[in-house]
Amino acid sequence: MIRYYFWLAARSLRRNPVLTVLMIAAIALGIGAAMTSLTVLRAMSGNPMAHRDDRVYRPQLDNWAATRGFDEQGNPPNLMTYQDSMALYRAGKARRQAAMFPQVFPVEPANPEVRPFQASVLMTHGDFFPMFDVPFLHGGGWNRQSDDNNARVAVISRDMNDRLFGGEDSVGRRLRMDGEDYTISGVLDSWNPQPRFYELSSGAFGDIEDIFVPFGIGIEKELNSSANNNCFADPGNGYAAWLASDCTWMAFWVELDGAGEAAQYKDFMDAYVQEQKARGRFARPLNNQLDTVSQWLERRQVVSRDSQTQTWLAFAFLAVCLINTVGLLLAKFMARAPEIGLRRAVGASRRQVFAQFLTESAMVGVAGAAIGLLLTWLGLLGLRGLYGDSAMGRMAELDAGMAGIVVVSAIVASLLAGLFPTWRACQVTPALQLKSN
Amino acid sequence: MELRPIVSALMRNKAGLILIVVQVAITLAVLCNSLFIVIERSQRVGRESGMNEADTFSIDSMGFAAGYDVRDSRATDLANLAAMPGVIAVTTTNTTPLSNGGWSSVVGLQPGGDFDTREGGQPTAFYMVDENGVDAFGVRLLEGRDFRADEIVDFDQNTGLLADVVIVTSALAKSLFPDESIVGKQIYGVAADNRPVTVIGVIERMQMPWVGATNIEQSTLVPARLNEAGFSRYLIRTEPGERDRLMPQVEKLLQDSNSGRLVRRLRSLEETRDMAYRQDRAMMSILGGTMLAMMLITGLGIVGLTSFWVNRRMKQIGTRRALGARRFNIRRYFQTENGVMIGFGVMVGALLTYGFNAWLMQNFNTPRLPWYYLPVGALAMIVLGQLAVLGPSLRAATVPPALATRTA
Amino acid sequence: MLLMKNLSKVFRTHMIETHALRDLSLHVREGEFVAVTGPSGSGKTTFLNIAGLLETFTGGSYHLDGVDVSGLGDDARSRLRNEKIGFIFQGFNLIPDLNLFDNVDVPLRYRGFKAAERKRRIDEALGKVGLASRMKHFPSELSGGQQQRVAIARALAGEPRLLLADEPTGNLDSHMARGVMDLLEEIHEQGTTIVMVTHDPELAARAQRNVHVIDGQITDLDDGPRLAVVAAAAHAGGAAQAAGAGH
Repeated sequence: MIRYYFWLAARSLRRNPVLTVLMIAAIALGIGAAMTSLTVLRAMSGNPMAHRDDRVYRPQLDNWAATRGFDEQGNPPNLMTYQDSMALYRAGKARRQAAMFPQVFPVEPANPEVRPFQASVLMTHGDFFPMFDVPFLHGGGWNRQSDDNNARVAVISRDMNDRLFGGEDSVGRRLRMDGEDYTISGVLDSWNPQPRFYELSSGAFGDIEDIFVPFGIGIEKELNSSANNNCFADPGNGYAAWLASDCTWMAFWVELDGAGEAAQYKDFMDAYVQEQKARGRFARPLNNQLDTVSQWLERRQVVSRDSQTQTWLAFAFLAVCLINTVGLLLAKFMARAPEIGLRRAVGASRRQVFAQFLTESAMVGVAGAAIGLLLTWLGLLGLRGLYGDSAMGRMAELDAGMAGIVVVSAIVASLLAGLFPTWRACQVTPALQLKSN
Repeated sequence: MELRPIVSALMRNKAGLILIVVQVAITLAVLCNSLFIVIERSQRVGRESGMNEADTFSIDSMGFAAGYDVRDSRATDLANLAAMPGVIAVTTTNTTPLSNGGWSSVVGLQPGGDFDTREGGQPTAFYMVDENGVDAFGVRLLEGRDFRADEIVDFDQNTGLLADVVIVTSALAKSLFPDESIVGKQIYGVAADNRPVTVIGVIERMQMPWVGATNIEQSTLVPARLNEAGFSRYLIRTEPGERDRLMPQVEKLLQDSNSGRLVRRLRSLEETRDMAYRQDRAMMSILGGTMLAMMLITGLGIVGLTSFWVNRRMKQIGTRRALGARRFNIRRYFQTENGVMIGFGVMVGALLTYGFNAWLMQNFNTPRLPWYYLPVGALAMIVLGQLAVLGPSLRAATVPPALATRTA
Repeated sequence: MLLMKNLSKVFRTHMIETHALRDLSLHVREGEFVAVTGPSGSGKTTFLNIAGLLETFTGGSYHLDGVDVSGLGDDARSRLRNEKIGFIFQGFNLIPDLNLFDNVDVPLRYRGFKAAERKRRIDEALGKVGLASRMKHFPSELSGGQQQRVAIARALAGEPRLLLADEPTGNLDSHMARGVMDLLEEIHEQGTTIVMVTHDPELAARAQRNVHVIDGQITDLDDGPRLAVVAAAAHAGGAAQAAGAGH
């Protein structure tokens, strides 16, 4: 029987090719648009630390100007001052803690054939790697002692290892940058957290740094952040003044074991700020925050507004396309009411009529969904063309999970479109059609 | 033509009516809101940076070798670049408009205090240029004079910026001194140690580096060179049409003249502009495409549905013709019916339009949709509907009256 | 074959109750050829719809070939229609998208026959109506009379026990109508029970037995002269005698 239904459906669809093409195109365009935008939105909404969301926390202290909050929403500054980061770091109240800021270093490869180039560097503490569960291909990070001594050790990304050492195990090898030699302690495995939650100020969606070195080296070299340095008052001249200022320029993260420890840590932060208030800093009311990674991403609104707007509009478009197809299928099926009446009269049960017409709508739906998948792929290609290397362009990639979502929702959406017309078709009573011709 | 029978006939086909109404309503809501965003973005993208974008490009140099002296190197580079045939002017600068990176502060008429508590304080971006800055950026000096070579100060983090004079844009001048000329006045917030600087000139227009900045036209030119980390950036203005030829030559010249540095980020201002507004342009294309596709789908959907309805009413149409209706009356019937449906759709769509706008306002600080978008959108939907119904209604009008007497 | 007792059918719409059939009783025996006549609005169509299991009834009982159909669900009724009843409609009701072969195939598909069996039956049925050579044609390529022959072939292909015809010649000119009637008589002679609704006395006269529906009730006109139809109709209007199974 199912073959008979397929045969009938194919016949009916072929009989009115323009209409069939219109219905399939509508579903395909709707699915394509909705899934393209959803792919980007979903990629942007990801939380790469979801598996450690109860362990990794972002402390934020509100040291901003007395007269004005950091932003209109009343958030504390997005970054922390040097002195506060160091105070929290040295207090060591968390299981792990790391401050960090980005810079760029010129790298001089040992091979004279390779020209010097600039590499992005993250100055951070050794706890960075275990805290964020960073995978290593070779070797590992560095210990507290290296942090304390500003040891010239470096962890390099897998890409950098491929570029500098042709992918060999380079642990123990020398790396010359910014005029000094560093010893490579570890090579990262592929690690590409998106969003790059730990240091959003140099772009929420981008590659990780090429090289990681102990935090103190950056201070020793009198560097500031290459990304974001915010002051609400003139910090004064000289690096010492810069370090002592209320300018915020570094990220600070801690690892805690669950909400209980987080509450204790929050108390510790509050106590610290109270103590600082007594020294004349922190003019604003107590406004400390301790976010999990998911809360942090939410607070910093890493999901682009354009992506959200596009997703809403694309789903409205999908709705129009589906409604359009519902209308056309309905009209088409109703125009065949005499046929339905006849089939019912000669013995087709309601279920058989339902099956017959559902087959036809499903053929439209599945064809639309299939082309919609292709359009999603093309749409993502188009987005990458339009957005290039910016966040939304980078996020326009289909992963396996999203591909699954796309396939399922495409088929569900298109079957939904076919359901109402089919239901109406099998409501046609056989009797009515005897005379109405 | 009387509406009542048309409306009551429509009411007998509720499913079809509702489907078209909802479709039209959503299309209208998306149309109005998308159009609003597209127009807003196109205005944003269309703003002038104020500088000469067609003939300029920038390039970075980053010294790393042990003996690298940024001041020597810079002096040599500037002399070499200025001597190149086709180069009109070259300056050092910390940044350019449209680059989305730079240094901003608040300037005011009084010393001291937090940036934002400075009396009469105005946000501004600093362009640290030399005596050729005005010429290289290609901005027009409206008032006062240009920098002299002896006014350019070298500074680093330890000395602090100790310039004595600045040139400001007319927008900043107006904000600080609404009623009188700013030339000759002293302002605070530029130089270190709470020292004042004297405004010596006013340029017509130059945007801050951040395309999303408010008060984007309040820029300040500071005669200074930052000597830090071996970094320098040059902005070069060429004779018209010479830019593309000169760009690779300049890169080679800098690279060859000193191997102890990296030469990076060779970029024309037009490329810089493209990158700055890439997201806006992408959004415009996407929304524009969505609007067109949606109108097309809705329009074709109406064509399809109306065709079916014409088919279903063949006999009725024949009967009307037999009873004396002219072709024109039949056409008019379908056009009116379409108008009524679109009308319902527009009514529902008005609610959706403002609902969606309210959502955008609440979540994304989008401005309120100006009132005239809705009537314009409604008109577009009505025109779309009439275009869509044209074919089917013409076909309906050709139904012969004799059809009335046929049974099948 | 067909046994209706005190059937009634009431349509309720909002405020009004309409009695389409009231207390209708009829017995059609196996092998009969019954013509049902009556003025329009008398309930002929309702009667035929109920007889063909296309509509349900409100009261009374109906046995089709010994099966009590009153309690049956949609599926069972569909199955009965498919197996026992063949329909012939005034408007032929052929599916315009399908050629003759596929049109005749429609009820057989729902019967669940194998392809070979279906083909045999279709060939045979189309052969019987003289259209075997045109099975690849589409309905629109045929005259009205030929279309009705296809419809008859479709009704016959399932080898139904009961053929229900609704004004089978209503859309045909007299020449074609005669051809169709000849065919129906032929089918009847081969043993199929036929119930035919018509308003044409000439046509009714060719049936074995005539019943007259008026105001939702049946008057049996066993072998009476054709002229009596009118008179009987006049009587039946007033006297509500249920002249049930007239055999």
